[in-house]
Amino acid sequence: MNLLERAPIELKAWLLNLLGSFGVPDWALAIISALLIIGTVIGVFLGLFALTSVMERKILARVQNRLGPNRVGPFGLFQPVADGIKMITKEDLVPRGADPIVHFLAPVVMMVPALLVLAILPYGRDMMPVELEAGILYFFAVGAGTEVAVFMAGWGSNNKYSVLGAMRAIAQMISYEIPLVLSAIVAAMIAGSLMPGAIVAAQGGFAFGFVPKWFVFTPWGFTAGLIFYIGALAESNRSPFDLPEGESELVAGHLTEYSGFKYATFFMAEYVGMFAICGLFVTLFLGGWQAPLPFLEIIPSWCWFFGKVCFVAFTMIWVRATLPRLRIDHLLAFAWKFLLPMSFAAFLAAACWHYAGRGAVGWGLSLVIVAVPYLALGTSFTRRFAVSKRTYQFSE
Amino acid sequence: MMCEFFNSFCADPVNAIGGWFVLLPAAVLLLAAAASVVLRNLIHAALCLTLSFIALGVVYLALGAEFVGFVQLLVYVGAVAMVIVFAILLTRPDELERSRSFFSGFGPAGGTAAALATLAVLLGAIFTSPTGDRPMPPAVPVPVADLGKALMGDYVVALIVIGVLLTAALVGAAVLAMEDEP
Repeated sequence: MNLLERAPIELKAWLLNLLGSFGVPDWALAIISALLIIGTVIGVFLGLFALTSVMERKILARVQNRLGPNRVGPFGLFQPVADGIKMITKEDLVPRGADPIVHFLAPVVMMVPALLVLAILPYGRDMMPVELEAGILYFFAVGAGTEVAVFMAGWGSNNKYSVLGAMRAIAQMISYEIPLVLSAIVAAMIAGSLMPGAIVAAQGGFAFGFVPKWFVFTPWGFTAGLIFYIGALAESNRSPFDLPEGESELVAGHLTEYSGFKYATFFMAEYVGMFAICGLFVTLFLGGWQAPLPFLEIIPSWCWFFGKVCFVAFTMIWVRATLPRLRIDHLLAFAWKFLLPMSFAAFLAAACWHYAGRGAVGWGLSLVIVAVPYLALGTSFTRRFAVSKRTYQFSE
Repeated sequence: MMCEFFNSFCADPVNAIGGWFVLLPAAVLLLAAAASVVLRNLIHAALCLTLSFIALGVVYLALGAEFVGFVQLLVYVGAVAMVIVFAILLTRPDELERSRSFFSGFGPAGGTAAALATLAVLLGAIFTSPTGDRPMPPAVPVPVADLGKALMGDYVVALIVIGVLLTAALVGAAVLAMEDEP
């Protein structure tokens, strides 16, 4: 069991020792070691992307009482291979009016932050590619590059749907980034560190011997976690927040003028970004690589991490299958008028929980602090957006 | 000196390049900044400005200022660059044309004067600064926790004043954007 737990690390050490015995100098070994980590992380996430692209269609089909892809390979599992061949062989169209450099660079710029943020996630015990002191901050700082890429794609295509889609996407990303960062800060505040590894370590252990001390099992952690989850959905432009590319009104938003492998690159970046933010969610609130029950610790930590990430990704697909798309003004109002005050409440509740001794008193106090604004905001919202007869301003 | 560098490069290239790495983002920063001034296409200029923001963040990181580097990326690339881009997209081309005709007479001269004045102030500050005479202190990475303690301790008044200012600006923006009740 211990061997399995440390298997990836031991394997790398063995490989480096082998190379070292052939007389490879130390500085080259350092570079090879880094390349091994980078290659593994990228390979694992691209594999996950390929698997998810077919599983998502299968799950959506199951929800909608269809079969889904089932022609290529057993259960349609080789569908990603067929999709890949199709994407590579498709014609790469660049509109005549497009800005060729910006149009070409947009998918490249999109891919860079999606891959870079994978560096700071703790994938298991002692399995963290880069240990940065401000790891959480790094995640959001690098993630900001996505907005630039979306704008470049929208403007470079020289298409009104692209520009409108990009404007919507950027407005949505900027609005939802604030509750996202604020709810992440709550976890960092209680752990007392911006290092993802320290945040996971702070969630170790079990209360009463069987309840894991994950942040999501406290009132403030549950609130912040839910806000973070909603923000993560919006940041990765997934349904019900996928109206930047709402096909009923905008064709495909900033992706309208992309085809072939450039489109595939966008698609890939979106999915890798989704997995990265799921990984951060797991790290911040779901205990990272910690096992949920004491006797389950025999299963290696990295299995727990990827299992939890896949579970969170599954819930995102489930949400996509279930919920209709929001309207843009409702979407922005929800971010600014509901999520933002609620994340402040979670912030306050976490502080009270900490200063009340992190015990039962703190638990009750933080529950009250979270519940009161929730009920107040909730009732005011229901009254405000109550269903009424629709009046049209410009038609009829 | 060159030979010495060559020898250390052969022994351990990673370490030898480490100290010089900062020059690369610095060069990108200068080129991108120059391009953002020279380019005629406004969006291209804005994108080059964004690139220079990113390069500045990398310069901070290469100099060991981790927190400042990340905040630079988060604030300037994530927010300021997007605000600039939005401002350009929301400006109608004819307004742009009018403003150009207004400034065209003394635009270059005024710009040069402003740039020279800024340069003079900066050079004056650099040459009269006492830090130039002191030896470079070793680069010690400051822990983020110490930064937080300093902000909450010694500089708490400045932090609160900035907070009040930003809140006032936010309330003002909300009031401006508020729809009039019918």
